[in-house]
Amino acid sequence: MSQSFELFSDIFAFRDNALSRLDPRVKLAIAAAGLMAVILSSKVYLPLGICACCLATLLLLRMPARLVALRLMLPLGIAAMVCVMRAFLSGSTPMATFSIAGRQLTATREGLASGGLIASRVLGSVGIMLLLSMVTPAHKIFVALRWARMPKTWVETAMMMYRYIFALVDHTSEIFVAQKTRLGYVGFKRSLSSMGVLAGAVMERSLEQADKTHEAMVARCYKDSLPVGEPASLGRHETMITAVFLAMITSAWFLAEGWL
Amino acid sequence: MRRCLRFIILGLVVLIAWPASARAMHISEGILPAPWAGLWFVVAIPFVAWGLHDIKVRSRQDPKYKTFLAMVGAAVFIISCMPIPIPGVGTCSHPCGTGLAAILIGPGPTVVITSIALLLQALFLAHGGLTTLGANIVSMGVVGGLAGYMSFRVLKTARLPVALAAFGAGAIADWATYASTSFELSSALHADGSMWGMFATIMVAFVPTQLPLGIFEGLLSAATYRFVLARRPELLKPNVAQTEA
Amino acid sequence: MNVEQPAAAIEARNVSFTFEEGTQALRHMNFRAGAGEFVAMLASNGSGKTTLIRVLVKLLVPQEGAVFINGKNIREIPAAQLYQQIGLVLQNPNDQLFAATVEDDVAFGPRNLGLSEAEVKERVDEALECVGAAKLRSRAIHHLSFGEKKRVCLAGVLAMKPSILVLDEPTAGLDPAGESLMMHLLKRLNGENNITVVMATHSVDMLPLFADCIYVLNRGSLLKKGTPEEVFTDQNVVDEAGLRMPYISRLVHELRLYDGVPVNGFPLTVGEARVRLVELIPPEIIVRGLVEKDA
Repeated sequence: MSQSFELFSDIFAFRDNALSRLDPRVKLAIAAAGLMAVILSSKVYLPLGICACCLATLLLLRMPARLVALRLMLPLGIAAMVCVMRAFLSGSTPMATFSIAGRQLTATREGLASGGLIASRVLGSVGIMLLLSMVTPAHKIFVALRWARMPKTWVETAMMMYRYIFALVDHTSEIFVAQKTRLGYVGFKRSLSSMGVLAGAVMERSLEQADKTHEAMVARCYKDSLPVGEPASLGRHETMITAVFLAMITSAWFLAEGWL
Repeated sequence: MRRCLRFIILGLVVLIAWPASARAMHISEGILPAPWAGLWFVVAIPFVAWGLHDIKVRSRQDPKYKTFLAMVGAAVFIISCMPIPIPGVGTCSHPCGTGLAAILIGPGPTVVITSIALLLQALFLAHGGLTTLGANIVSMGVVGGLAGYMSFRVLKTARLPVALAAFGAGAIADWATYASTSFELSSALHADGSMWGMFATIMVAFVPTQLPLGIFEGLLSAATYRFVLARRPELLKPNVAQTEA
Repeated sequence: MNVEQPAAAIEARNVSFTFEEGTQALRHMNFRAGAGEFVAMLASNGSGKTTLIRVLVKLLVPQEGAVFINGKNIREIPAAQLYQQIGLVLQNPNDQLFAATVEDDVAFGPRNLGLSEAEVKERVDEALECVGAAKLRSRAIHHLSFGEKKRVCLAGVLAMKPSILVLDEPTAGLDPAGESLMMHLLKRLNGENNITVVMATHSVDMLPLFADCIYVLNRGSLLKKGTPEEVFTDQNVVDEAGLRMPYISRLVHELRLYDGVPVNGFPLTVGEARVRLVELIPPEIIVRGLVEKDA
């Protein structure tokens, strides 16, 4: 329980540094361009380069390496799985043959190469997402999305969900501790039933919370929609930064693909 | 010697990949090639729009609806972060929560809630991703949510107890999500190999973890639904009326 | 018109409220707070305090009786107007803080009023400054401490510029310094900004310093109404409502009862008790001017 909640922390996004001060719309645009470049790559160089840049930046900003590594683990595992599968299930030039349980499994050169490409894309794009999320709080991303014409209902719901996930996490971990200290998680069967109660309690609490919060909103003149503040208009500085980065990413892509 | 080395490398890869497959409810960032990523976005958008429309209509009838929705969304998010121990694998997986969400708030709003949860998970947990958001919305929100909702309705019409219907919704939503995730992965990644071969491989790789996981998710959904029904039935009422309508 | 009584800012007349499941939470309750007064409700848990608060701000509509704000029935006041006159601070700050950041939350009310972004910013600045939370401005709500959350709640309500503040246990769960900070903040709002303050509380030790008038509630009806002195000297009321005297009064009371120390009056605060006790000490053993005591 605690591990996933520890991971789900946005404390770093609220740190003050050169990147967190940058307008979230600029960061989103650059990140989107970077992601596009990565998944459109047909060679491993650009994705790996972008990944290295992002991780280096994260370390420069003094983000804890352990957390970064933890967040990288899962996508890495999936990339490895896809890589293995492709090596065995596609391609034509045999590279190595294994016999497992009487069946012949053949890894191919092409399969492994294309698997490696996919793995590099995963690394590159996860690097971008890690950097983006560690310098931009979620609510700023929501405001930026609203500015980019995301439907209002979606943004409103997202903002409130984001806020109350944290409130409910506190409540959940309290119940979890109360159960654990009274041996609620000893043995598989008891863990199951404790978890059912925990999930039910969280759900019940959230439904109660809906009533209370709605009352509090009414008492502050809530009129069927949560107001989202208008972000300031984009200055020349921001436009310049965006343009420079977009140009850099595009030329790096062409260079890596061998078009230049 | 070289053969031996290869075995060790393969073993290591499987070792990393095995727990990952247990948690691979989301397609990771960057795995899908651009055309496929785009395609799933195109598929997902109408469903999200449908959900948003649903929310707008309902919140006109009930001013509390949006608050209610956000809270249920937050709760489902947390429930989907709860670790489930998988016997024999020694690792933990997580429930999807979409089946539960669908029987509580209906399939349309579930798509919207799922899209928000997926974005937050992509940002903060590196589960799923921006480029694969569309594909994940389709497999979890649309397929999972609809499968869960449908099975709940069918089981209820069959006059089975509510808890059993909720169990079915949770389990079927979970399995449907995995099946569609496997489909999305294999259709995009089979290259010159056979797509169905890859689909079958992924499914087989998922079965040992997914079969018990689905059952667990069913149990969790049933427990949660029953708990809320027993403790605060009035909290479910306005919504039950709406889903019946 | 009675000269001693200021015009009622908020008044509940003969209010009764029964919940759907049949619990009668309020029985023929009368409540009144004059303009610019500091009124406290004292009661044990489950005696209808929170229900009365919700009736006062129109979140619940009583089956019987009515609530008036500045002489007008609240049923006739539209929500937008009503909630600019009366602000509500709930007991649990998490119920009230629903935006992602401090700034957004405080701006929620003003934005609902349709003010321009410049005016909204001005109100947010002013409200945060007022509760001493200007530094918290761009912080996320879920990173705040409990005491900070409580102050941000208050700022969110102050941004609506109400003339009446209704607070449900504003000091519950705060540390002693936080409690004192909150009470002084309310007193300042009451004194300088002339805001009528109505608060439900359990902190009997603090109240005599601040409240003009105390309502003691018990099982949904009014047990006693009066100044702190009138309320706490009435031992029956104190016992019946599950309260206690302020500790300092208890000390003086026991000195008088068990040790025969002839203390005058019934001091409710440390300052008063000090004066009363010094009276009894022979002047020759008192050394004055040891420490410069500031007011």
